[in-house]
Amino acid sequence: MAKPIEFKAGSLHAMSAVLREIDNVRLADALQVMLGGIGEFFAGEPAVIDVTQVTQFPTRIDWPGLQSLLRRYGLQPVALRGAPEALHAGARKAGLAILDGLDKEPQLPVTPATETPPAPEPVAAPAPSRGSPMVIDRTIRSGQQIYARGSDLIVLGAVSNGAEVIADGNVHCYGPLRGRALAGASGERSARIFSSNFGPELIAVAGVYRTFEQGIPQALAGRAVQARLQGEGEQASLLLETLITD
Amino acid sequence: MTRIVVVTSGKGGVGKTTSSASFASGLALRGFKTAVIDFDVGLRNLDLIMGCERRVVYDLVNVIQGEANLHQALIKDKHCENLFVLPASQTRDKDALTEEGVEKVLNDLKQMGFDYVVCDSPAGIERGAVMALTFADEALIVTNPEVSSIRDSDRILGILQSKSRRAKEGQEAVKEHLVITRYSAKRVDEGEMLSYKDVQELLRVPLLGVIPESETVLQASNAGSPVIHNKESDAAEAYEDLVARFLGETREMRFVSYEKPGILKRIFGGA
Repeated sequence: MAKPIEFKAGSLHAMSAVLREIDNVRLADALQVMLGGIGEFFAGEPAVIDVTQVTQFPTRIDWPGLQSLLRRYGLQPVALRGAPEALHAGARKAGLAILDGLDKEPQLPVTPATETPPAPEPVAAPAPSRGSPMVIDRTIRSGQQIYARGSDLIVLGAVSNGAEVIADGNVHCYGPLRGRALAGASGERSARIFSSNFGPELIAVAGVYRTFEQGIPQALAGRAVQARLQGEGEQASLLLETLITD
Repeated sequence: MTRIVVVTSGKGGVGKTTSSASFASGLALRGFKTAVIDFDVGLRNLDLIMGCERRVVYDLVNVIQGEANLHQALIKDKHCENLFVLPASQTRDKDALTEEGVEKVLNDLKQMGFDYVVCDSPAGIERGAVMALTFADEALIVTNPEVSSIRDSDRILGILQSKSRRAKEGQEAVKEHLVITRYSAKRVDEGEMLSYKDVQELLRVPLLGVIPESETVLQASNAGSPVIHNKESDAAEAYEDLVARFLGETREMRFVSYEKPGILKRIFGGA
């Protein structure tokens, strides 16, 4: 007879929202800047709120506020990682699972099995798998936005001022890049931006961004340039290099 | 086969209505049966530029709402045999423009055998502007050589790509033409103004014409006679070239280079 309920161990692929501070107002601002206020930027992916990098915790945290902020961008917060014990009760009450201690050593339910199951082979973290790239033939105009979810984005026209091109993978621009380009939008730090005629308003890789208030450096303006991340954590910055194309 | 041409820009005050009036007149002078429609409901201007403001009885909104038929509302132009003006309403608001209503008016104009219907778009990217471009086959993007005008034109090009009927139904895209107005070759030469080549490079749309800044444009507006009729004016010649290029002729760009007055001209004054 089939049991009405069964428990199985499984793994869940989730986005990590790594916070460096917990202040909903500042987070809202930062998300606005990063994602340009695009509602539903994500597609309802489950997310773990990771606060391991937070150094100062407020005494009370507005979890529902934080959750609704993430939901506004299409993330579904399901769990919390790295918070001090004092905050666990509040987070649980808000419906977040506490992952600390769980995900390091998965606690298997003790079953009266006679045989110990063979330990699973350690699997190397898979290389970022991507769909085939999205190719846009035309010029992307001010106010338009293109998002290549889970793939590279190749733009053959120009990206105008006030336009935005976003990819989870790399962004390649063959026409002049004058708007915003964001690569590694779901956090892939190895993503890059390639431009054959460099002149953007903003570029970002995995959330690390750079604007050009003082204008594009002379050595890069109008040239073929790639942008990629260098350094780790807080020190991460965008490295811009001209490309030799002939 | 009727072609619907929208004259649009995003930004206001760049010369849409002036261009619509001269472009439509130019087509009519070439013998094409042409209608020009003012979509700027609430801020009608085209009738003034065309000099028919005293003959407005019915308007676009009256026709859309079935209070008048097209024959009653179309005003015959005083200069051209083949040109008719459909004015905007000054009293209604732009919500009176419905997609079905506009489509019906345009279909009726097709039935009446018009060769070209020129839609003079209001500024902005709201309802009136979207209605004016929804059914377009071709678009004249009017731009001043100035960054904010260029950005707004870029924006309206994006809207054309997403909201036009052709885009929505996956047909051949709306044919885009760039029209640069209020161009001063002298100021470009002095480095105060973007050149037409800069503008074209930024917008990446084929250039149909460059209209020089000219006093005659203002005079023509005040006189209620599209500037293309003023034979002495550079702007008139530039609009005539523009119409010729639109109809597939090859014409060299004029009024785009500046020659410093020679010493004799400086001493004895301009001839």
